[in-house]
Amino acid sequence: MSEVYKNIIRLRQTNQLKCLYTIIRDKNTKRADFIFYSNRIIRLLVEEGLNQLPIKPKTVVTPTESTYEGADFQGKICGVSIIRAGESMEKGLRDCCRSVRLGKILIQRDEETALPKLFYVKLPTDISERYVLLLDPLLATGGSAAMAIDVLKKRGVPEDRIIFLNVLASPEGIAMFREKYSKVKVVTGMIDQGLNERKYVIPGVGDFGDRYYCI
Amino acid sequence: MSNSYSSETPQAEKDTASSLSVQATRYNPPWKSPYIIGIAGFSGSGKTTVAHKIIKEINEPWTVLLSLDNFYKPLTREQSKKAFNNEYDLDKPNALDLDLVYKCIKALKDGKKAEIPVYSFAKHARTGETFTIYGANVIIIEGLYTLYSEDMLKLMDCKVYVDTDLDICYSRRLLRDTEERGRDLEGIIKQWDLFVKPNSIRYVKPTMQSADIIIRRGSDNKVAMDLLLEHIKKQLESKSVTHLLQLKQLGRQIKALNLSKVHVIPVTNQLRVIKTILLDKKTSNDDFIFNFNRVASILIAHALDFVEYVTSLPGGGDILTPVGAPVRDTMYVKGEIVAVDIIRGGDCFISSLTRTLPAVRIGKLLIQSDSRTGEPHLHTEKLPALDSTCNVLLFDAQIIAGAAVTMAINVLLDYGVAEDRIIVCAYLATEAGVTRISNAFPKVQVVVGSLGSRYGGGNGPETGDKDSDWWMAYRFIDARYFGTD
Repeated sequence: MSEVYKNIIRLRQTNQLKCLYTIIRDKNTKRADFIFYSNRIIRLLVEEGLNQLPIKPKTVVTPTESTYEGADFQGKICGVSIIRAGESMEKGLRDCCRSVRLGKILIQRDEETALPKLFYVKLPTDISERYVLLLDPLLATGGSAAMAIDVLKKRGVPEDRIIFLNVLASPEGIAMFREKYSKVKVVTGMIDQGLNERKYVIPGVGDFGDRYYCI
Repeated sequence: MSNSYSSETPQAEKDTASSLSVQATRYNPPWKSPYIIGIAGFSGSGKTTVAHKIIKEINEPWTVLLSLDNFYKPLTREQSKKAFNNEYDLDKPNALDLDLVYKCIKALKDGKKAEIPVYSFAKHARTGETFTIYGANVIIIEGLYTLYSEDMLKLMDCKVYVDTDLDICYSRRLLRDTEERGRDLEGIIKQWDLFVKPNSIRYVKPTMQSADIIIRRGSDNKVAMDLLLEHIKKQLESKSVTHLLQLKQLGRQIKALNLSKVHVIPVTNQLRVIKTILLDKKTSNDDFIFNFNRVASILIAHALDFVEYVTSLPGGGDILTPVGAPVRDTMYVKGEIVAVDIIRGGDCFISSLTRTLPAVRIGKLLIQSDSRTGEPHLHTEKLPALDSTCNVLLFDAQIIAGAAVTMAINVLLDYGVAEDRIIVCAYLATEAGVTRISNAFPKVQVVVGSLGSRYGGGNGPETGDKDSDWWMAYRFIDARYFGTD
């Protein structure tokens, strides 16, 4: 991983990662492969996201009765996914943190105003005491992510306790975060060229939720 | 980025090291110089019994017993007809393909594979099947004409002749052939008088001259058997001492060498936490397995950075995304990725591996250290077809002495894998161990989660592990992972 800007963390751009993206970007990739290779990327994102959590010293007794000066995570966490695409990342999170609590937020575009509208929120009651891993695979304009972060802040989660994980980001989305939510940590797999006139990430992967769940 | 690891070297140490470097950087595994025992004697003299006693007594892993019976020349239709009437001489030396025997033994002596033909006595022909022997620590060859050819004698380390009275041999043969092989008495007698007896006296008996040890009356001769076994044990011990010494030297002169192919994955908060859990005696089996699987996934992801990639496939056009935009930085794996695990440490990676690469072919090697001498022994190798285009991930949970991995790499090279296409993947590794591996195989990539240091004081990334820490020096992960601790 590397920090491309303050609080903007991008996975190491290895050949292996490029190989995974080649597969999920390809429009001819079948759904089963899309899911499998997306999951591999998601796993890497979750690992990196968890690395952002602070640790504290912990001393344990080893099987040989000696002591080992180790470490433990400080504080509790939870995941919050933006329905529907964000839910594709829940499994990856639970693969690393069994039985982690998962909140959900549904945001949809209001057809009358063309603005994102909040439809549904279910979050752990003690969310203000937790670090939050916010899950949404694509960061395009950042409209729904911004709304989700506003919801979390309203529930008492400080910005610097939010880690936003996404598979693919646009430079526009990254710029929005640097400007409006500079304390939120963004962990992304790749930053693409830009957005097209229909606000799709270019070259992108298409509609992530559709490819993961339906097509 | 992974940290390539290299260490500062005091000049004095460099100088002593370089004088050792010639023999020390070359690893010669024990199967490249198997100990070969030849046992000859009349038919029915008790050669096989002697061979089995030797196998039982020396208790050496990877001992191969080879019978010359596999090497009968195939018969023509006419010869075969005669043979069924007990009129064909199967007991003269040229009934055997002694050239092929020599070739096979020579191959084994050189540490290569040998294809042994399977002969059917029912058909007096080779079945067309062969079985493969791949190296061995000890090879025992047994047959009438084991000590017959000069070339063969040169390959043998110990030549034994079982000298049993011909009359006793005759009665044993009568019993065996009527009871076990269901042949008719008349035929056996005819064959004995015509061929077996005269050939035994004319061709077999004189080979006794070439024997180092003659065992009169067969394996019941306790004095002779004890002498023989003692001699073989002593020889094997000195062979094992040489092997161990060589392994030691590989580790000793590390300082002058470059460990640029050793990659320690960055120490992250998660890895610190996981390691704490793995070292905590209170951790449940369930948590141990879960956390090792996690660290294994991280290691596998790093190891996969070292397989060969290409930016385009032959005949592949542009890749378009669903919005119609071309993908610029395409990347593909070149060649197949094959996994090989060293039982049982490497087995701890399989669950995570098959989640990352579901259909990966997995080879297995059983290499164990002799509890008395510490010498590694290769017991079993079950490998898929391999060639120089394969990317091989070689797994072990821990590298301590590095001997098992060194041996495993050698097997892979024998199978035709390219040295720079081998990626060793281990969670904990001592500096001495990885040094030994890198010295012997400078092109092999080694990916480790935590690297110890021999003299303390942060050679690798800030893990603080020392080679002498118990978790580095003692194999515990597989026992915890499989719940046999």
